[in-house]
Amino acid sequence: MGICYQGKTFKEVVEERDRLFKETGYCYGLEKLELAEEDPARFMRFQLRLVSACVNARETAKLITANPMGLLMGELIFMLANPEGDCISASFGLYGHIQCFPYIIKSIAELDFEDDPGIREGDIFATNDPMYGAPHNIDNYTWVPVFHNGELIAWSVGINHILDVGALQPSTLSSVSPNTFTDGFMYPPMKTGDNFRQHKWWELFWKRRTRAEEFNIMDDKMRVAGAVAIHDRVLEIVEEFGVDYFRKGLKEIVERERRHLLQRIKAQSVPGIYNYLKFDRVKYKGMVGKLFASANRDWMLHIPVELHILPDGRIFLDMEGLTTEDEFHCNIYEPGLRMTASMGMWPMFAHTKTINTGLRYINDWNLPPGSMFNPQDEYAATIMGLTNASKTMFAFFNCFTHAYFARGFLEEGFPQEGGSMAYGMEGILDDGYDWTGGDMLLIASTGSNACPYKDGVVALWAFPNPASDMGETEASEFTQPTNLNIGRKLIPNYCGHGRYRGALGMGITQVVLDPGRKLTQAAFIGESGVGNTAIGMAGGYPGQCDLVYFGHDTNMREILDGGLPYPTDFVQIKEWIKEGKLKVGSSELYNLATPNVDCKDGDIFAVAAGAKGGWGDPLEREFSLVENDLHYGWVTPDVAERVYGAVADKEGKVKVKESEELRQKMRNRRKERSVDAKEWWRKERGKVLRKEFSEDVYNMYADCLQYEKFRRQFTGIWQLPGDYKL
Amino acid sequence: MPEEIVSKENVRLLVEGKLAWEEVKKLIRLSPKDEDRFWKYLEVLQQRVPWKDKILLRISDHLYIVAKKGGGRVVKCDCGQEFGDYRANWKLNCRVYVRKTREEMMEVFSIEEAVPDMDLVELREFYCPGCLAQLGVEIVPRGYPVVFEMLPDLDTFYQEWLGKPLEDEQPDWFQDKTLELTSEWAKEE
Repeated sequence: MGICYQGKTFKEVVEERDRLFKETGYCYGLEKLELAEEDPARFMRFQLRLVSACVNARETAKLITANPMGLLMGELIFMLANPEGDCISASFGLYGHIQCFPYIIKSIAELDFEDDPGIREGDIFATNDPMYGAPHNIDNYTWVPVFHNGELIAWSVGINHILDVGALQPSTLSSVSPNTFTDGFMYPPMKTGDNFRQHKWWELFWKRRTRAEEFNIMDDKMRVAGAVAIHDRVLEIVEEFGVDYFRKGLKEIVERERRHLLQRIKAQSVPGIYNYLKFDRVKYKGMVGKLFASANRDWMLHIPVELHILPDGRIFLDMEGLTTEDEFHCNIYEPGLRMTASMGMWPMFAHTKTINTGLRYINDWNLPPGSMFNPQDEYAATIMGLTNASKTMFAFFNCFTHAYFARGFLEEGFPQEGGSMAYGMEGILDDGYDWTGGDMLLIASTGSNACPYKDGVVALWAFPNPASDMGETEASEFTQPTNLNIGRKLIPNYCGHGRYRGALGMGITQVVLDPGRKLTQAAFIGESGVGNTAIGMAGGYPGQCDLVYFGHDTNMREILDGGLPYPTDFVQIKEWIKEGKLKVGSSELYNLATPNVDCKDGDIFAVAAGAKGGWGDPLEREFSLVENDLHYGWVTPDVAERVYGAVADKEGKVKVKESEELRQKMRNRRKERSVDAKEWWRKERGKVLRKEFSEDVYNMYADCLQYEKFRRQFTGIWQLPGDYKL
Repeated sequence: MPEEIVSKENVRLLVEGKLAWEEVKKLIRLSPKDEDRFWKYLEVLQQRVPWKDKILLRISDHLYIVAKKGGGRVVKCDCGQEFGDYRANWKLNCRVYVRKTREEMMEVFSIEEAVPDMDLVELREFYCPGCLAQLGVEIVPRGYPVVFEMLPDLDTFYQEWLGKPLEDEQPDWFQDKTLELTSEWAKEE
């Protein structure tokens, strides 16, 4: 006798869900949506009650946490799932996770949790293990079963991004990890509590295996509290609507969503094949040394996405040619990939009033086994595979922008690029207090790319989390007592140029004060110095790269003590050094996530990130838009002239005749220095035949050419001999 | 209400980037979207170009797939320049300029330290041979195949999604022919 409806086992209902979809093409085999059609108003009321249960859980439970990322930035989400694991409703927050939870439930079904450790009223389960459905171990899931008269009728779940997971690098986004044992604290699905209370041993794990233990314990309590709140509210809803309605209604919600999304894609896009492409870089050479000899190298990562919009509105994504799994932090499993990819799907076509896993049923992926998004090595590191897998979300933004543009729905065009920052810190103050902190609030509100009809908007949004804002400097400093924020601003000219300009990237600048006995800092940036995207939009330039700067042995103490002005962004730091006003003994500059960097009193730390790409030919930018940029100081006169061919007077007024002549000269220069594609192809082919690639690029091609599809494209474009080999 | 918001004039203004933001927001909020947008869009676009070929689909700021009177579907710039069969990547009929150095990059980027690592990638610009408009940009490693950004399934679109099949419908319109082009070039080598 199982715990599910009609005495079925939990494992049976999960298998039945998959079988029915495969056989009928409808979620749960539901050809008709009886409840939704019989009384749509009641059905909507039912659905919104479920959503409000999740929203209520989030907005109350998050007050328990002390983690500013949870409390202020909202890096958390609460969800309700049916016994099969499909998420039926969700709060605001980290909405990508709606895609992951079904995999976690499927995992515990396959592990036969019903038999051992058992699934009972009041039990608490948890995991952060990517092999079992979590995206990466910094995102922690806690869930409780909901029983009604002995029948498992739902799961309520809380998840949040914690402050530190005990990895090689401190804080939230550790980006050096050759294998899963350097990923930090990772736990497969397990029962961590009963009678709605966590066991004491569970708290000890957080204390011993992570750095920010106080924050992490509070986060855990928050997740439990929210999950229990949903549990209680669900039983009230069952009381009101009846358990039969509840059971059936959950399934209809998913199937209705699936149909709705297909209909929307067919109504707004154009079927066909669209390509998105991204390269990333990993630099471990010299960093992991003899201890991880085979990981002591650099990589160029190849992330191709061929996105098919199929005749029936479904989407197929082919990633053949993807870089092979390796001893780096970039591996990820399918659930994590789907989680981050969905963050491009929700905004582009899956935004509905009550989002749920209906989305999961309309997209399929080809992830070659052995590639970094389908690793076969069970010890593959996965701590930050999300960074690289997140590039797939931009495939949805950019490819669907092309599709909407072609159909005439320009207003739905919303191309995007990555580009963001965060950092972790750990230290020991003079009094011996051992602390860990960090921040990712700057990414809480980056700008946007240019659209097909307008410029990108600064400080607009956060792609992982629609509820976030710019964060509070005071809250950041609460978790990082050694770093004083001295700058947080938009950086002029720092964008991708185009007929419509991408949003300016942002910079933060901090000075280290009284670090005590020790301070180590590791910064994360979303891009890795090889282009924010490989494909500009309609002739616009991609955004400029992210960067991290550390200046050591400076005179910042003297500047601050003297009450003097100080530099507030990276560009100013450079100018001040050049002018001799800022003295820096040594410096470090990175265009990708950094190693652990030791910092001392007076050190300066600056990041510039999130410069977004443009749309269209910069030489077609309206002069009035250039004047606007000059007026606000977003673009300087020299850049207006050099990039946009717009000559301005001292008041910032564009001189039309002079500018038009300059633009003509710039077009003539294009003609002079460009060649016919055929001629260019001939020369490039020679280089490819001679294998004239830099080491990392050579290695990347050598790897990707193992995959038949990429090999066909590569050898076909350059018309290479069949035995071409690297 | 939707008819007023999605007037042909508003579609024209949207295409030109001149529709007021408040009006754009109304378009964004339309759910479901207006069913005849595509046809209005085509009308607006057709009036903007100086040539008579029938536009089948707009694929970029300047580029359209058009039906040729004598048969065939080709990519055409609004200046009149043609790029051949739409099934082959139009970039291979452009003029190409490649930025390979940091100095060359600094003409279009602004912060030197934010330029991509030019030992690993290059920036390709694709210009229209007719009007020299910049039609495409790629940042890729040397030797990377030119990216075919979009191959629409035109017949499925017109027949199944719009319910108005094209006259020259045939199965092989949805096939990538790019490699046939480079194969021809190789024969000339």
